[in-house]
Formats: sequence, C-alpha cells, structure tokens
Amino acid sequence: MPLGTLDRTPPPFFRQGPSALSKLMFFSALALFLMVADMRFKVTQPIRAVVATALYPVQWLALQPVRAAQYGGGYFTALSQAKTSEEAARQKLAAQSLRAGQVEQLALENARLRKLLDLREQKAITGLAAQVLYDAPDPYTRKVIIDKGLAHGVELASPVVDESGVLGQVTRVHALVSEVTLVIDRDMAIPVLNARTGARSVAYGDPTASGGGLELRFMGSNSDVQQGDLLTTSGVDGVYPPGLPVAKIERIERRAESAFARIYCTPQALVGAALHVMVIKPVSGQIPLRPADEPVALPPPVKKGGSK
Amino acid sequence: MIMPSGQQLLLPANPFFIWTSLIIALLLEMLPLGRVPWMPDFLALVLVFWNVHQPQRVGIGLAFMFGLGMDVHQSALLGQHALAYTALSFFATMIHRRLLWFTVPSQALQVLPMFAVAHGVEIIIRMSSGGIFPGWTLLLAPLAESMLWPVVSVMLLAPQRRAPNPDENRPL
Repeated sequence: MPLGTLDRTPPPFFRQGPSALSKLMFFSALALFLMVADMRFKVTQPIRAVVATALYPVQWLALQPVRAAQYGGGYFTALSQAKTSEEAARQKLAAQSLRAGQVEQLALENARLRKLLDLREQKAITGLAAQVLYDAPDPYTRKVIIDKGLAHGVELASPVVDESGVLGQVTRVHALVSEVTLVIDRDMAIPVLNARTGARSVAYGDPTASGGGLELRFMGSNSDVQQGDLLTTSGVDGVYPPGLPVAKIERIERRAESAFARIYCTPQALVGAALHVMVIKPVSGQIPLRPADEPVALPPPVKKGGSK
Repeated sequence: MIMPSGQQLLLPANPFFIWTSLIIALLLEMLPLGRVPWMPDFLALVLVFWNVHQPQRVGIGLAFMFGLGMDVHQSALLGQHALAYTALSFFATMIHRRLLWFTVPSQALQVLPMFAVAHGVEIIIRMSSGGIFPGWTLLLAPLAESMLWPVVSVMLLAPQRRAPNPDENRPL
C-alpha cells in the first residue's frame, strides 16, 4: 500500500511477483537484444510496424494543433505578403518558361541523336508528391517524416527531392508515413558529379557544420574544384537519377600536410524547412542486369620447384 | 499507520486517471516540435511519479512498453528509450519508500540523479552506435525534468487530495 493513502485493498503479502531487480535484468536484456537486432541484423521492422500502428491515433491527435496553427497562420497571412510571393513566383515562371520551351525540342533532338548513335534510351522519372509532417525528434540523426507510406506505394531507398535539390532518401516505410534520412545525416553518402568539370566523387553528410552540410572526401589537394561549383547526382549508383542538384561547394581548405583537400558544401535542398517533396522511384529496377561472366580459359597451373 | 506528520491522508488513485495522465504525457512527447535536445521528457517524469506513488499499478514492465513506443515514434534505435525508462523505473521503485518522507523540493533534488542517469544511458548507447552529438544543451533536460517534479506532484496528486466525504462546505 502506498504511503499515506486510504487504499482499501491491502497488497498481497506473500505473492509479490518477481523482484524489481529481476524485472530490471529481464527488461534490460530485452532492450539490449532489441538494439542489437535493430542495429546489426535489421530484423525489427515487424515490431516497429505493430507499435507504429498502435501509436497512430495518438500521433494523429498530436499533429492536429500544429496543423490548425499552420492553417490559421496561412489564413491570417497579410495580403501584401501573398502578393509579393505571387510576384516572385511569376518572375521565376517567366525565367523558366524560356528554358521549358526549349526542353521539348531538346528532348526530341536528344532522342533522335541517341537513336542515331545507338545509345540506350534515357529513363523516365516517375514521382509521388508528399508533404513533410515533422522533423524526427531523435537528436542523434537527421531525419524527417513524410505523409506517404506503403499504402501510397512508397518504396524503400527511394530518393526524395524538393523544389531545389536532393533532400535525402527513404530509409524506413511504415503503413501511412515514411522516414527520410536527409543528405546531411552522418550515415548518408551520395555519388555526385561536378557540373563544371565532370569529375565524379562521393559527398558525405556532415551534420556538425552549422545547419548541416556535406563534405567531399578523398579529393586530392591539387584536384580541380572551385568555390561555387555545383554538384549534381551522377546517376552511376542505380538509386538517384542523374542531373539532380545536390550541393554547392562553399569552402575549400588545402593543407600542406595532407594529400587531400577538405571541401565543405552546402546542400541545395531546404534541409531545415522543406515542406513539399517528391518521392522518386529508385532507378535500380530499370537498369539492365550485368551480363553473365564468360568462363575464361585459365593457363595450366605451373608446378613450383620442379626443376632445380 | 506510520506516515510523515502533518500530511493529509490521500484517496486511492483512480486507474483511469493514471492512464489518462500517461496518455497526455505521451501526447506532449509526440508534439512535432523538431529536434530540441533540452526538452524535458514528460513521459519519463509522469512514469517516475506513478512509480513512486503507485508502484503496484505502474511498474517496470509498463515503463518498458512506453519506452518502446517512444523509440518507434522518434524513429530512434529500437530499445534505447525502453532501456532508459526501465532503469528509471527500477531506481524509482528502489527509492519510493524513502522519497515520500521528504518535502517536495527535496524530492525534486533526489530525482535529479535518476533523470541524469537515464539521459546518460541514452547518450552512451547512441554515441557508441555512431550517432551525432546533439549538443551541450542536452544537459539541461534532467534539470528541467527535476524542476518540473513539484508541478507534476501538485497536478497529479490533486484528485487524491479531495475530501473523502464531500459536503456543502467542501464540494471537492
């Protein structure tokens, strides 16, 4: 019986259940087992799916005040602000319309040239529009949650882009929502191509930079990179379609004592404030399979130490 | 009955009220506020409170289940919060007989190391499994939790402080 209450049911005197220490041992072991299963073997997806489904009503309820605030905020936005944003959108549209007009012609020309040169056709990109619900509250990673899941046909490992560049990659798919790991996460690496020089490399996430950034590793200190170079996806990885902007080079540190330069980049996507995103199907399913290795005629084995 | 002098006898806690308070704490945790490392963990606070005041009803097993829910919601490593809450609940069970003999402010001081240990467990697990260091503001979280202890004590004990025999002078 708790101290100082008028509880009328006395606690059982002899049957107290397992002791607190044994409970601690049992549940700690279970937690450690789950961690190993999650980190090393990646087999906990069914448990996550069950718990996520059970939690969904509470999550939905917790999202309502935020949605109401967003809606209310949008409702009371000043007319002038709406006008300025419309003006900006019109200017952007005008700037893009010239290029958009050329695209049809260029696509046709490209298709003909490819046919002429007998190259493979470019793959069409199919996407699914989604909305970012919230930043994942886990402070040890950089992830966001989007409002499309298995039910909407989101696939694992799909690239996610926003209006200005690559935002990240889908790393976990639940029934109605999915998790997107941002390009600035420490575990993310994305193959890029320097749009100015055509040099391919890999950009790694660098969350320690202010606001998050990317880093080009293993580029020689004499390599041809300049501040302001645009890095786009190279398309050699089988995940990202080629040509999507990823980052811009912000700062290059060339050190005398190191063979490599430290190259810091800023992501092009709005990693902190993206709202509307596109989930693109990974291109891996469309890539033709590698041809089977032909058996190579091996030279007859040479006997060692035969003659001496 | 042996109890601290000058304290009021409390009514038994309603199980419905216990569950409601736990669900509301879960709701507070799930508010999409982004990554705020210093945010106090309301769910841990309420779990520790009920662990201290009603150890028969809220125990280590329930803390583990709520921890699992938090892991899935935060898309953290599965088992990270579960382990932290299990440890927290164990410490709360260990000190629950002693703690209630102190005044509420000194109780807040005594629960501070427990919350610090729980956050320490989480940060050790995540840093060893290759996470990003969330920043030094994380140190404020156990402080904030222990400062909220008196508030939670007043709020969650209020229904038990009602009069056992309400009349016209004491409607509540």
